[in-house]
Amino acid sequence: MAVLVDITKCIGCESCSVACKLWNKLPYGKKKSRKQKEEKDLDDDTWTVIQRKRVEAPSGKGYTRFVKKQCMHCLEPSCASACFSKALRVDPETHAVVYIPELCVGCRYCMLACPFEIPRYQWDEPLPLVTKCQLCASRLKDGDAPACVSACPTGALTFGGRDELLTKAHAIIEKDHRYINHVYGEKELGGTEWLYISDQPFEELGFKTDFEDIPPSTYTHAYLSKVPFLAAAWGLFLAAISWRYYKKHKNDPPKPPTPEEETREAGNHGEGDGMI
Amino acid sequence: MTRKISRRDFLKLASGTSLFGLGVLASGCASEQKDEGGDGWMPDQYQGRGDFPAHLKGRVAISPKNPSIMRDDEKCILCGQCIEACHNVIGVHGYYPLPLKDETACIGCGQCTMWCPTGAIHERPAVDQVEAALDDDSKFVVVQTAPATKVSLGEEFGMAPGSIVSGKQVAALRALGFDAVFDTCMSADMTIMEEASEALVRLTQKKDVLPHFTSCCPGWVRFCELFYPDLMKHLSTCKSPAAMMGATVKSYYAEKKGLDPKNIVTVSIMPCTAKKGEALRKELGHDGLQDVDYVLTTRELALLLKKKGIDFESLDNADYDSILGESTGAGRIFGATGGVAEASVRSLYYFATHQAPPANLLEWKAVRGLTSVKEAQASVPGVGTVSVAVVNGMASGRKVLDAIRAGQGSRWQFIEFMACPGGCIGGGGQPKSQFASSEDMRQRRIAALYQEDRGAKKRASHENAEIQTLYKEFYGQPLSERAEKYLHTSFVDQSEKIFDAETQHAPNTPPKAPKSQPAKD
Repeated sequence: MAVLVDITKCIGCESCSVACKLWNKLPYGKKKSRKQKEEKDLDDDTWTVIQRKRVEAPSGKGYTRFVKKQCMHCLEPSCASACFSKALRVDPETHAVVYIPELCVGCRYCMLACPFEIPRYQWDEPLPLVTKCQLCASRLKDGDAPACVSACPTGALTFGGRDELLTKAHAIIEKDHRYINHVYGEKELGGTEWLYISDQPFEELGFKTDFEDIPPSTYTHAYLSKVPFLAAAWGLFLAAISWRYYKKHKNDPPKPPTPEEETREAGNHGEGDGMI
Repeated sequence: MTRKISRRDFLKLASGTSLFGLGVLASGCASEQKDEGGDGWMPDQYQGRGDFPAHLKGRVAISPKNPSIMRDDEKCILCGQCIEACHNVIGVHGYYPLPLKDETACIGCGQCTMWCPTGAIHERPAVDQVEAALDDDSKFVVVQTAPATKVSLGEEFGMAPGSIVSGKQVAALRALGFDAVFDTCMSADMTIMEEASEALVRLTQKKDVLPHFTSCCPGWVRFCELFYPDLMKHLSTCKSPAAMMGATVKSYYAEKKGLDPKNIVTVSIMPCTAKKGEALRKELGHDGLQDVDYVLTTRELALLLKKKGIDFESLDNADYDSILGESTGAGRIFGATGGVAEASVRSLYYFATHQAPPANLLEWKAVRGLTSVKEAQASVPGVGTVSVAVVNGMASGRKVLDAIRAGQGSRWQFIEFMACPGGCIGGGGQPKSQFASSEDMRQRRIAALYQEDRGAKKRASHENAEIQTLYKEFYGQPLSERAEKYLHTSFVDQSEKIFDAETQHAPNTPPKAPKSQPAKD
């Protein structure tokens, strides 16, 4: 399931981020370890945020636009590809990229892998977890829209099937020449479930635009997918050597101890300072 | 002492620990996995099929720089009441075009603070600054109280809506340590002197700027500057009563008392959050001094009194300080919708005829009451029939303003606009002791104001003795050069902050001029 964000309709009321906090029971506490940045940004308690962007048009005029930031829910997520414990995975029913805390080992490979720099870590917790938007997978399974979408008062967020929303997005762009002819998320890194349309250039709004159309995991899949087999084969190889060595030497007579070893053992016993 | 353990014991221990660990892991995998994606609480309209169309959804946008109101996200439950107030009562949310230009529109009226059930939206506080000024011995701190606060402050202390507490309020402010307590009703009389004279000039000589719009409501002024800048020429150039008082204190009063205006701090107690934005206007000041330094809402004053442990109910009534403390009935009814129109016409009648207004203009029922748009006629000899409209709630104001834009302006000569329903008594800074949409509470407050008017010895502004002295000693005549300097202001077209011809015109049509573009939902 996908969400289409029409940036031209956002008024920056932040209903979406409050809805996210309510539904996911996220606290508002300001933690000491967290630097207060100028611009609002995601953190482990904030899974979606509205960023205010100022765009200078070529005509010299300035425009204010609000951009919603959250996990893009890639069709081929790099985080899930980097996660060796399968804590991050694509939910087969909703296509949301979900996080299963019970499986996470806390390695934070996902944070390095994410091209959109979305996952955050609970630095203040003794047993920290990774956090990010789950696309309200539990709501989607009940047939509801994600919390943020259901709370949007201006219709800037639309929920639906990805193909249906792509058709809709292109229809809007076609009908209204003010929009940039680009649906962000349609092709970026193989496509994402969150799609954006805008009347201002995406790069001006803080979007990364130098992405290829194929998912990053394409490059790594060829050899990373062989890692489990290689690991197993290496183990088998070592076991085989060990077994061969054991077979070859099991009938060797025990070596008599050297005089040096004898004196040292005797000395240790004498002092009563035994070692394992 | 360490014990030597055998190789066999060590291996036993290691394997036992591993088996235990494996067991824990296995039990973890076998436990039931809950659905990912949250299970919190949201209000009814977002439950069930959360994408159903709903009337009350989300909330209004509040800029972090908003001078009037703030919101605490932690308390927001997304009930949607602020949208209800902002869209249906005030006509702002949903009336500014998208995509945005520079900012989301807000007139600062604060009706959302009245409707917000959790207190998430509140006024931008100024209590700390006022306390600091009171503690600073080098400052002479002057306070003024708006008419509407006199009939509502008691509610914060458990008194019935409509209890008249003007005397107690003065005593309470003295107890807080203010150096002088003045009455905004007095400067409301000053406003009437200027505004009625100005309206008379427009009615008799400058008929092209009719209808005449009142300009005492800062929410309305901001509304006009944002959405109807083409009609700004109709606005009275008079400052609001609060600003007139501030300007007079920092000029006439300072001169009279031998005070340095730089050391005077003016505080106003207002039923209004928009006044906080008004106080920051560059146009409201002189010689580098702002007319009003700090604005406290009625709610904030109650908070300050409670903080200082002042037992409000047991206070004896006290009188306002001279020389800016006398008020007439005309100044007192400023707090109710229709009050400014009624007070203006009383003095207008006198200025035009030099005779006292007839009894029907002293009990002008047609302009009173909570109807959102009221129309009435007053016949003034020498001027003719003056058609008056009284508007409260800017959502209704849009109908009148759109009619004027459509060329029906000649229907009225004088229009009073108040942003909040019921006028200032229903303002966004008033006590929240009753449900926000309760008309009963507004009616009781209004009734109290008219009771004050009826009980007044003088009922028209020009009869105020202190006003007469003030004009004799300082301003000369209404609309004199000095009066223009201190008591009149100018307005600034703010529409370019929300309207933009290039990005907001209809799809595939050439851009239109921003001013002729109707605001769309």
